Amino acid sequence: MGEFEVHRVRFFGLVPAGVRCLACHPRGSRLALARTDGAVEVYNFAANYFQEKVIPGHELRTVESLCWAAGDRLFGAGLSGDITEYDLSGLSAARGVDGGGGPIWSMVANSTGTQLAIGCEDGSVKIFQVVPGGIQFERNLDRRKGRVLCLSWHPSDTHIVAGSIDFFRVIDVTSGQTVQRIMVNHHVEKAKRECVVWAISLLSSGTVVSADSFGRVQFWDWEQGTLAESHTVSTSAALSLAVSEKEDSIIVGTSTGATYQLQLLPVTLGGQEKRWVRTKPFQFHSHDVRAVAHSPTALISGGLDAQLVIRPLMEKIQKKSYDAALRKFTFPHRRLVSCARKARLLLFQFSQYLELWRLGSTEETGKDGEVLPLCQMPEHLVQLKSKGPEHIYCSCVSPCGTWVGYSTASRFHLYRVHCDGDGVSLRKVPKVPKLLPPAYQLQFSADSDSLFVASARGSVHVFQLLEPGGCKHLHTLRPPSGVEGRCLPFLPRGSAQGGCVAEVSAVVPSVHCPLLQHHCTVPTYNCAVSALAIHPSTNNLVIAYSDQQLLEFSIPEKQYTSWSRAVQSRGLHRAWLERDSPITHITFNPKNPSHILLHDTYLLCVLDKSLPLPDDSTLLMNQSTLKQLPETARKRQLHAFKICKKFQPLLFMDLLDENCLVVVERPIMDFKTQLPLPVQQKKFGT
Amino acid sequence: MVAPGALRVVRCGGSALRGARAVFSADSKYLLYVSGDFVKVYSVNTEETLRLMGGHADLVTGIQLNPHNHMQLYSCSLDGTIKLWDFMDGIPIKTFTVGTKLLALYTLASAEDSVFAVIPKKGERDTFQLVSVTLTKGAGQDLEGKELSVVLDGVGASMKHIAFGREVCSPSGFFFLLCSVGCTTKTKGGDNRFSCVVCHPKEDCIATGHADGKIRLWRNFHDKKEYTYSTLHWHHDIVMDLAFSIEGTRLLSGGVESVLVQWHNESSCQKDFLPRLGSPIEYISMSSDGDLCCTLHTDNRISIINSNLRFSRSIQGLIKSRDVKTGLVVDPRTKALVLNGEPGHLQFYSLQSDQQLFSLDIVQRQYIHQAGLKQSDLVKVAFSAQGTWLATVEESEEVTDPELQLKLWFYNEEIQSFELNTRINTPHDNHITDMCFRDMDELGDDSLILVTTGRDCVFKVWVMVEDTDPEGIILYWEICDFVGSYHNYQATNCCFSEDGSLLAVSFEETVTVWDSLTWDLKCTFCHPPGNIRNICFGRLTCSKYIIGATDYGFLCCWNLLTCALEWSAQLNVVVLQPDPLSEYIAAISWLSKESSLFVFKPNEPLPVYIQRNLCKDKILLAAFVPRDEPEITSSEKYPWLRKSQLFFLTDTQICETKILLTFFFKLAVEESLPVTPFSLLLGKHRHQQAQEDTDLGKLVVHNKQKQASPAVKELLHTPAHVLPSASFLCTIFINSLLISKEKKSAEEVADEVEMESEKAEDDSDEEDITAMEQEDTSHMELLGEMTCKLSKSQEKELRKIRKMDYSWISAL
Repeated sequence: MGEFEVHRVRFFGLVPAGVRCLACHPRGSRLALARTDGAVEVYNFAANYFQEKVIPGHELRTVESLCWAAGDRLFGAGLSGDITEYDLSGLSAARGVDGGGGPIWSMVANSTGTQLAIGCEDGSVKIFQVVPGGIQFERNLDRRKGRVLCLSWHPSDTHIVAGSIDFFRVIDVTSGQTVQRIMVNHHVEKAKRECVVWAISLLSSGTVVSADSFGRVQFWDWEQGTLAESHTVSTSAALSLAVSEKEDSIIVGTSTGATYQLQLLPVTLGGQEKRWVRTKPFQFHSHDVRAVAHSPTALISGGLDAQLVIRPLMEKIQKKSYDAALRKFTFPHRRLVSCARKARLLLFQFSQYLELWRLGSTEETGKDGEVLPLCQMPEHLVQLKSKGPEHIYCSCVSPCGTWVGYSTASRFHLYRVHCDGDGVSLRKVPKVPKLLPPAYQLQFSADSDSLFVASARGSVHVFQLLEPGGCKHLHTLRPPSGVEGRCLPFLPRGSAQGGCVAEVSAVVPSVHCPLLQHHCTVPTYNCAVSALAIHPSTNNLVIAYSDQQLLEFSIPEKQYTSWSRAVQSRGLHRAWLERDSPITHITFNPKNPSHILLHDTYLLCVLDKSLPLPDDSTLLMNQSTLKQLPETARKRQLHAFKICKKFQPLLFMDLLDENCLVVVERPIMDFKTQLPLPVQQKKFGT
Repeated sequence: MVAPGALRVVRCGGSALRGARAVFSADSKYLLYVSGDFVKVYSVNTEETLRLMGGHADLVTGIQLNPHNHMQLYSCSLDGTIKLWDFMDGIPIKTFTVGTKLLALYTLASAEDSVFAVIPKKGERDTFQLVSVTLTKGAGQDLEGKELSVVLDGVGASMKHIAFGREVCSPSGFFFLLCSVGCTTKTKGGDNRFSCVVCHPKEDCIATGHADGKIRLWRNFHDKKEYTYSTLHWHHDIVMDLAFSIEGTRLLSGGVESVLVQWHNESSCQKDFLPRLGSPIEYISMSSDGDLCCTLHTDNRISIINSNLRFSRSIQGLIKSRDVKTGLVVDPRTKALVLNGEPGHLQFYSLQSDQQLFSLDIVQRQYIHQAGLKQSDLVKVAFSAQGTWLATVEESEEVTDPELQLKLWFYNEEIQSFELNTRINTPHDNHITDMCFRDMDELGDDSLILVTTGRDCVFKVWVMVEDTDPEGIILYWEICDFVGSYHNYQATNCCFSEDGSLLAVSFEETVTVWDSLTWDLKCTFCHPPGNIRNICFGRLTCSKYIIGATDYGFLCCWNLLTCALEWSAQLNVVVLQPDPLSEYIAAISWLSKESSLFVFKPNEPLPVYIQRNLCKDKILLAAFVPRDEPEITSSEKYPWLRKSQLFFLTDTQICETKILLTFFFKLAVEESLPVTPFSLLLGKHRHQQAQEDTDLGKLVVHNKQKQASPAVKELLHTPAHVLPSASFLCTIFINSLLISKEKKSAEEVADEVEMESEKAEDDSDEEDITAMEQEDTSHMELLGEMTCKLSKSQEKELRKIRKMDYSWISAL
């Protein structure tokens, strides 16, 4: 594997924002997720649950509800009172439309996706028509006192049920009149406490399912106004509810972090009578489960502990495969850290500010596994707060550590870092050319004299950095026509000639050559790219896809390398393909051209192209067994993938020089302590 | 019926009350539960054990009400029979012999003439199968039940691993839900092995208990993929049993926490608890009207609990302590057996009612259930002759430095219980090995002294002293000046002679005899090699003898007058127990995996009674319990059982302790027989036999049947409405009055080989023992065969009988 001096960085104090709401695409291929900081993410189920798109949040734009409508259009509504459409190709929020009823607590689309209903603070339910290019207010439904916290359409679109505090009501859509109003805490003795209906669903059979703050899931016959069944699932509130498409299964999220499944089951074998039965409990979260979704094959839940959990339903999965595995996502599938190799600086990106740290250093050496004492502690140099309410899209520090750039939805900022003795000062570079915002990726060239900015529609802007603090727009690289508009550019790192930039979209990767013109296009692959890099000496492009495939493309020869072909023909190891998280970063060892270093959240891998590939019968993670073998036997057992799982969860890894590595960890426990206290629960044995 | 007359060993009590789930009768007035070989009928209202239904020759493993007649009960046993009882009258109706061990029994309303049982699979160890046993219809009482059809293979042996659920009757036959759980191996996620299974009575729902304390409710289980379950979790350790209420709305669960949990509507949020039930719950059963439920606990207790989870009453059997360190002591006051009970408690156990009378907290410390914790436990108990004083010794489990306490308790008549009088810390420097009181009625209170022997090589004498106090005279105990020792040997046993004048203390190999007034060493005996294991003085006519058993396999009798060895026999005695009311001494030996009983008088080297192969298990302890009234009927044959009964405590392989009782088959009904022609006839018959016995009786131990034949006995016991017709009975009745023919068995020699090993020291002894043995076996044979031959006088009688009118029988 090679020996490295490792900087084990644990001072990246990232606290991912909690999950506020989830929306499953009606066709079940994508999942939209909104976080409490207003960020919206889109996960692609087909591409190994890859976090395909991220739209950073906005201070004034909280998202309370998301829904897909009219095909692939995603709408969000929040307490700002606006309904926002998200531009998924441009990764930005389009202009919002005011709902006109104060803060919006919930929004649902009807079964055809042509109408949106919103529930407002003032107790009104409003219907909006989805029209091309935006939405149009259609009409108001019957307004009653009490904020509308949740809504649900009847599958036939004839009725809407709206849940409020202490009651819910059923509204006839055509007449706009409330046809039934049901008090939910009518039977409760302790009725002094208000009972919040947090989630509601109207089934095709006319049954209303409500989840309330007393921890109950109740089934009502709305026409009669009677309670059919009541299940107390939790001692604390039941916050969220989702019904499967067949209406035979319900998932409920509670404020204790537990989720429960309720299933409609026949009482006796072959009998007609069916009853809802609480079946499986799941405890994946430590905090409130604010959002749940029910895909045909999985239960999806998101909690305030920032976790997204996808629990497949084993009985719905035909064959036992990788799809049957439980997945948990806490950290983003992208890089939030950049590293200045020469200056040994780390730039951490938070939602609204950046932090620049200098790595510690040691003079001692030691054996494998030893912890070396630091002679110079890591130093927090500067914190750079972003201006305005917008959150940061991307950031980068130049290899020499003198330039820092970041971009928000509307603006791009470039700073010059001055290190004078102990103090560090930042000076904003004036007159940065205005770009078509936003910038998705930033990249400094290896010699820090130019900056590449990946922008919308697959274009890349090249800036020349001028001393003592200025920049000039040199050139704009545009992808060949045909791929335009569909690209989500990625910039590779480690380009040798300072001008070699590759830009790869999910569909068509394309490569630009040093002459700043289109050089070639990498053949299409039907999965999203999760990371890519160009080798500084060989000019080979290494691409990692979200389905865990690895490809190596030779830029000078405009074709896949022989190694890559060998990998494709043999196939990768099964254990490699069945990993959970995508490769987020690729780097190279300048000393050893055959080495590729890559990492995902759970492992760090040194890929040695000179060694044979492992087949399915051998152990993929064999480093610990190799250690125990004698020298000769070890030689025989060696294979290309040298994997280290020591650092977890791994947010970033880079090579500072040929034998010095920096890894950035964010231990789950550290991050859990930053979260607010969960609901107090008695635990046995404490 | 078992042939009466011979001495046999009967499990009389203390057996596990938790062999199987208890059953409530249909009207919930009676609780039927298993107690060893018996099934007991307990009245829920009066809290009395009404009936004891015995007849199985081994442990009863399952009881179920007959679904077609709620007054009948099926029971199955390890002896391979299924019996059908009328439990209201306590009589067996039918016996079906299956032939293999039966481990659990299930009945089904839709299965007309079959029951289900779990049997071990032939040829394979530890695999069991569920079979359906067809109960043949026949006139007789004993029927074959060999028609087995295998229902399910590879089931668990425990009755908790199979449950029968809802039955569906359809024109094409009936279906029923059958669930069986196996013990899967531990998975890495946790120990989720199944421990029990029950079925919902109305719905398709199965509840299973798991080793990790979870209860799972399975639904949709007929679908291979889309089955689903919900989990109820409260128990922290294995769920021992589950029970659904009749409508299935409530589920009861119990485990080692000794808490009964009631779950409502399968919801994990709604549950009720009944805590502090005392000991782990092993079985739960529910009455059919849902009013009562009962839990069987590991400490041999049955608790009856109301439907609103209110504890109602309990039946406490013998508590099985891990190690009965105190031995088997008889409380002179209540005639109850006294032994270790709950940790730190002394239990008083009544053999007559097979129930615990009360439990006395000796250690008076909170017992903490934790592995590896050193607990204080009771190790020795002694009663004074009248039962007014009780001495107890407790020690902590530490081997090197035991924390010893000697406590003396005085029986307070007012509160009817023992009160702590004196507590002596560290009475000895090392473990106390034995302890006894001297208590003579004639000598008054001054005579009351206590002797303790310890491993610190001394024996100490404790006396009672009086002290005046403002409140009056206070009695307390303190050490006498005298501390005896002998050559620095460890003192192992002590005992007083009958008149209290002599104290015998054994020091390893030596028995020393001391004058209890002057504390002079009178004489010493020893029989090297080997340490003395037990000693005792002879009583009454044999009071000049002292008996000792060595761990080298010798039983020695020394004469105190001549100070010489009177006789000795090679016998590996484990228990030496003198009868307090007679001169007989019982010695129980353990040799080649069987226990044998020898009863002898110290003045005769020949045993008066030998019973080989008393039981397969090692007998740990024995005690003579004085009878309330001397037994007359048995006195001729077994004089040593006249005044007392002998009880044993055995230790079976599964670490269960049972109390066994040798008792005489007596016929209580006989004495109170009204004067009828029948009774006259019986009387004559009996008289005749007695005459014969005197003719024959020389040295032979009489074990001819003393009372009427089983047929007659049964005739008298059985209620008339279940009796067969008189004409059917007549021949049996006549036959029973015939005298059996004496016949020597050819097999009697077989035992002689075994005899060699236990050869007594002198040859004459050996001969006699063999002779006795032969007698014994021959009688057994005789009883088995019942070959009859008429004597002349009996023929005359018969003729008379024939002339008599039997119409009275039909009138019965």
